[in-house]
Amino acid sequence: MLKSKSFLMSLMVVSSIGLVACGGGNNDDVNAPANDSETDNMNNETTTGEGDVPEKPEQLTMWVNDEEAQLDANEALAEKFTEEYGIDVEIIPFSMVDQAEGMSLDGPSGQGADLFFQPHDRMGDIHLQGLAAELELTDDQQERFSHYNEDAVASLSYEEVQYGIPAVMETYALFRNTDLVPEAPETMEELMDIAHDVTDGDTYGFLMNATDLYFTYPFLTPNGGYVFGQDENGVYDPNDIGLNTAEAVEGAKVVQSWFDEDLIPDGIDMDIVKGLFSDGKAGMVVSGAWDIPEFQSALGDNMEISMLPKVDDELLTTFNGTKGWLVNYYTEHQYWATELALFLTNAENSHTYFEMAGELPAHTEVEIEDELMTAFFDQIQSSVPMPNIPETSKVWEPMNDALEFISQGDDPQEVLDEAVEQIKEQISIMN
Amino acid sequence: MARINSQYDQDTLVNPKHNPTVAALLSVIPGLGQMYNKRYVKGAVLFILFAAFVIVMIEFISTGLQGLITLGEVPREDDSRVFLSNGIISLILTVFFLGFYYLNIQDALKDAKRIQLGWKVPNMREGFRNAWDTSFPYLLIAPGLFLLMFVVVFPLLYMIFIAFTNFNLYNAPPREILEWIGFQNFINLFTINEWRNTFVNVLSWTLIWTFVATTLQIALAMFLAVITNDPRLKFKKLIRTVFILPWAVPAFVTIIIFSALFHDTFGAINTQIIIPLFGEGIPWLQNATWTKIALIMIQVWLGFPFIYALFTGVLQGISSDWYEAADIDGASRWQKFRNITFPHLMFATAPLLIMQYSFNFNNFNVIYLFNQGGPAVRGQTAGGSDILISWVFGLTFENQQYNMAAAVSIILGILVATFAFFQFRRSRSFKEEGTF
Repeated sequence: MLKSKSFLMSLMVVSSIGLVACGGGNNDDVNAPANDSETDNMNNETTTGEGDVPEKPEQLTMWVNDEEAQLDANEALAEKFTEEYGIDVEIIPFSMVDQAEGMSLDGPSGQGADLFFQPHDRMGDIHLQGLAAELELTDDQQERFSHYNEDAVASLSYEEVQYGIPAVMETYALFRNTDLVPEAPETMEELMDIAHDVTDGDTYGFLMNATDLYFTYPFLTPNGGYVFGQDENGVYDPNDIGLNTAEAVEGAKVVQSWFDEDLIPDGIDMDIVKGLFSDGKAGMVVSGAWDIPEFQSALGDNMEISMLPKVDDELLTTFNGTKGWLVNYYTEHQYWATELALFLTNAENSHTYFEMAGELPAHTEVEIEDELMTAFFDQIQSSVPMPNIPETSKVWEPMNDALEFISQGDDPQEVLDEAVEQIKEQISIMN
Repeated sequence: MARINSQYDQDTLVNPKHNPTVAALLSVIPGLGQMYNKRYVKGAVLFILFAAFVIVMIEFISTGLQGLITLGEVPREDDSRVFLSNGIISLILTVFFLGFYYLNIQDALKDAKRIQLGWKVPNMREGFRNAWDTSFPYLLIAPGLFLLMFVVVFPLLYMIFIAFTNFNLYNAPPREILEWIGFQNFINLFTINEWRNTFVNVLSWTLIWTFVATTLQIALAMFLAVITNDPRLKFKKLIRTVFILPWAVPAFVTIIIFSALFHDTFGAINTQIIIPLFGEGIPWLQNATWTKIALIMIQVWLGFPFIYALFTGVLQGISSDWYEAADIDGASRWQKFRNITFPHLMFATAPLLIMQYSFNFNNFNVIYLFNQGGPAVRGQTAGGSDILISWVFGLTFENQQYNMAAAVSIILGILVATFAFFQFRRSRSFKEEGTF
């Protein structure tokens, strides 16, 4: 059941989620100004106002992903919260990857933290295991909650139940080595031209992990195609898989042509992509903001980031991921835990968090001045969340295998049909 | 006992009124039987111990055992995993309790019989000293045994029990209550096409892998050990050191380096050796057959130094008298190897070699680190080089099919255990100790 690509995929997902990352912050610069004071006022209102506010607990605990930058940032924010509300916050370092399992063991026995931190694609598991509380927001909280990125909010819900408060978002974009490729390509045709020009011997014009659905998704589905169909409320239908539609096959043929024309070498993986780009032997690569530090130390000012190019005047749609705070189902302080989550992710604190931990906020009213990050922020506007139903876990492996076969020259229609068939079979034996 | 029974005759009894059956029956309440035997202190101690155990544990054990049957009733309140573990602990404690209960009755019975035969009840100090003398070794191993119960038996039982529940992603505590579903998981493994195909494919490769990789590494080690043992060879120490080197580097590191070396496009093996020689690279990581060949080569390289060291040691222990005698009889080189060297080597090392086989059967490291069980094979869900253990890993940690993973683990455990059991039994080192 393990396969190289699925392992890479999970590594990818985990690292895209677990490592220092990116995301897209201020959805709308126009909305941004003058909101800090507003948020503060609201906070004060809740502390003093309304009678239905439950009594303050003495202490709240939260599990924070055990990365130093993230710990430091959260510690600073927690101190601020204590100052403002008089509630102690205890921070326990706990790898994000293990938190769901930890919560399933500690939650029922009352030892779980009030708040824990999870990527959105775990929502299905968390829902099935009943680990997170359904958020019951007061009107005032609801008002504050409306300023978050819609995609991010939606991806932290499951079957129309809101489980999480989004903190950060991330996606991938096009990195460029300006020595080899001075101008960012506007369209896919331009990109392919550059790729043909630059590729020569062991220098490549355009590289990406093209046997991995996570990165290949935008190229596979430029004119249509999707993973799972959604109804009007955004609920996914695991029986409706759109990865072998005519459009997806069309996209797969394009991907295949990269290998046929030797633009991308056989057996490509993320390590190779990163290695070649760091060595200055790749003009353009597709990767996430988590790689900025590595690439920057290798290429310095020669690195630029731009959005993925257009196809038929439409922007390519990348996958995005959201990470957010979830309230423990078994906590006795649901209201105050929610309050803490909202506090940690409000515009002002999201900004602090971005500066300290380098992750792009999901709050729409944060202003970020960072050239490299701007591309990611733009790209997030043109992205869709990875489906967060548990069935998604059955998609990666067969699809990555299919991409592998496509890269080796097998017929895309045949291979994708097979993959979809396999996904369906896998889903049917899940239970 | 047998000896006592043979003398069991009314006439020789010194205390015919003392009835062993009564002692045994009284012992149904622990301690009473001992008191009937007039060992009051011992009886009192036993009674207090048993009473204490019952008073303290009875509730835990009865709810534990009951929980083991129901696995909880109220979703979200009851955590089936807790019920399961409490149940297993209760089960272990119950077995302990019954064991001591049985010993207690036996003890009363035995003493009563001895009293009938005129045995004097020792006074307290003597009794204590006797007990100390006979049970001292047991006293020493008791804590270890107790610990073993919880460190080894408990997790094993937990795993075995999980295989008979419906514990997967869609049925995960704490939200859901687990249910016993009997052998359904095993039945699914062999009847649902998806499962069966994968299981059979993975199992057959696992067996081939175990057999070929281990046998090759033993053969290579034997060949090299015999060669380097030749008295005419110079620089023995240097050569031996070189052969031991692969053992010195952590396997973890070696495998990852090999994985890079074997890369189809960028790996040194293709770019530096195969392509210059044959003009075209070998798809080491993309073709299942080549991946398997590469894996076997890597395992041979990783595994032979240990066996080589083993063989070298044994070879030096073979007395030269054997060879001299063979020389006088005019034996050929091959005859000497077949009839002297080979039996000696095998006799001394067979148990360790068998362990090599079971080690490779579950050699997760090589498979997982080299290519994560890949490459993909069309129309099959497991990777081309997945062995059972790496498949189980995927089931548990990527697919959260805990029940199926446990079922496969049980089958895996049974396979390894049977194999090892029969091989150990058959190996001459155990059968014919002292032949050589």
